[in-house]
Amino acid sequence: MLTVVKNQMRVCALSVKYNIMREMVNKVTFLTNVGFMVLNNATFLVQWMILLRMRGDVGGYTMREIMLLWGFMAASFGLSHILFARAFSLSDLIIKGKLDSFLVQPKNVLVSVLTSATDSSAIGDFLYGTALVCACKPGVGGFFLFLLLVVTGTVIFTAFAVLLGSLSFWFVRMDMLQNQIVMGIVSFGTYPDGIFKGASRFFLYFIIPVGMAVWHPVHLMVSFDAGMFFTVAGYACVLLALAVAVFYRGLRRYASGNLMVARL
Amino acid sequence: MRKYVVIYKSVLLENLQYAANVAMGFFGYFVFIFIFTMLWGYMYRTPGELIAGYTKEQMIWYVMMTEMLFFGSDAASVAGEVAGDIRGGNIAYLMNKPYHYTLYILAKYTGEWSIRLPMYAVLAAVIGMVMVGPLPEFPLAALPAMALCVALALTINAVFKLCISLFSFWIEDATPFQWLYNKLIVVLGILFPVEIFPQGLQPLLKLTPIYTVCYGPAKLIVDFSSEKFAEILAAQGIYLAAGCGLMFLIYGKGVKKLYVNGG
Repeated sequence: MLTVVKNQMRVCALSVKYNIMREMVNKVTFLTNVGFMVLNNATFLVQWMILLRMRGDVGGYTMREIMLLWGFMAASFGLSHILFARAFSLSDLIIKGKLDSFLVQPKNVLVSVLTSATDSSAIGDFLYGTALVCACKPGVGGFFLFLLLVVTGTVIFTAFAVLLGSLSFWFVRMDMLQNQIVMGIVSFGTYPDGIFKGASRFFLYFIIPVGMAVWHPVHLMVSFDAGMFFTVAGYACVLLALAVAVFYRGLRRYASGNLMVARL
Repeated sequence: MRKYVVIYKSVLLENLQYAANVAMGFFGYFVFIFIFTMLWGYMYRTPGELIAGYTKEQMIWYVMMTEMLFFGSDAASVAGEVAGDIRGGNIAYLMNKPYHYTLYILAKYTGEWSIRLPMYAVLAAVIGMVMVGPLPEFPLAALPAMALCVALALTINAVFKLCISLFSFWIEDATPFQWLYNKLIVVLGILFPVEIFPQGLQPLLKLTPIYTVCYGPAKLIVDFSSEKFAEILAAQGIYLAAGCGLMFLIYGKGVKKLYVNGG
């Protein structure tokens, strides 16, 4: 059992390594993608400088919390797109019947699918997020907590994308909806939770998991609470289990598109 | 000119068939408006308060209008198509056709937004009326003037995005430059009106495309005046002429750099 897991992990690591090497074939394009993504994210600091100039805080967040918020959002979203980019286009694979080449591999289907692509610009997201949190001087312990919470955030984003994408086994046009909802998470996740009230707040914590992936981690960095930490970790595990179950349940309904694909 | 009208009409009819697909994008628009309604609801603490000369209702309507232009035009498609044509080599076929490639793209793009924008305009009006309430003293008679400024704004934006995409003749992927241009438009024009920035920066911002692409038309819708209309229209005329000149120049230089690798 342990050997199987070890082998699977090795294949995943190799897959991600070769994805990144493929992206780096054209070094100028690769570096431009990474560098401009950092700049692209940094432009939003202007927005917060303006808003915080009007009021001392927005939804209870000062500049430090805003930087942590953007740090978690960018790093978690970035890591999920570096390691599991295909989760975010899973719908497209299912609708177009492109899963065949993964089904014949002697490894776990879902893991093979998820690790089959890397978004090079996401490296810029990850670096930007990590740099922002470092700029908040979290200390050594705080930095390890950040890394741990980025892992839970990555699991939550990936699992949610897999869950939405897997619905394509039952419904058509889920590709557009998956994209819209994922972008919706990014939009909500870059604003403080303090501005949302009532039902929308519950919705954003439990149904669309922005709260668990980004807002709770920010609160944990400001003031650690073991109960909140285990809630986030538990939520990530439950969501992951649910996503895996829904994917394999849907896979039974999968119909090939007779598409000839060579995976190199 | 007639051939571009024919291209426009054919794309318009084609896009009419897929109007339902456009509606799938409404979710993203709604999310943005919801967030900004909450955000400005938090920032305005007393009723009737003014921030940078805008009431809460005007500020939310401003964001709704700029986001409507952003979502309703989907200029990303024009950028993506041009970059794809150049990278994929399709440009070699398109440049020999009896039209100018850049004007062909602009005619196609206009056909696309002619369906998308009215749909988003209706959505924006409905959401605005429900979530914020009607705009006080909205001049219905000025609608044609507003529509003209909106059409020019979308065309200017497309011309600048096209210019950036044409850099694909020299670099393999111009997408990162598109991100940066988009973000500057979003942060400096879509999210806030120019008046919210420090006094020293405002004249500088009015010289950028932001003034003609999003601030100008949105400001006219939220707070119309005929002097403002004349000023924005003049600025748009200058920007359109300069943008088109730049576009033809880059395209002219770019096609000389074109290498066809067969296929």
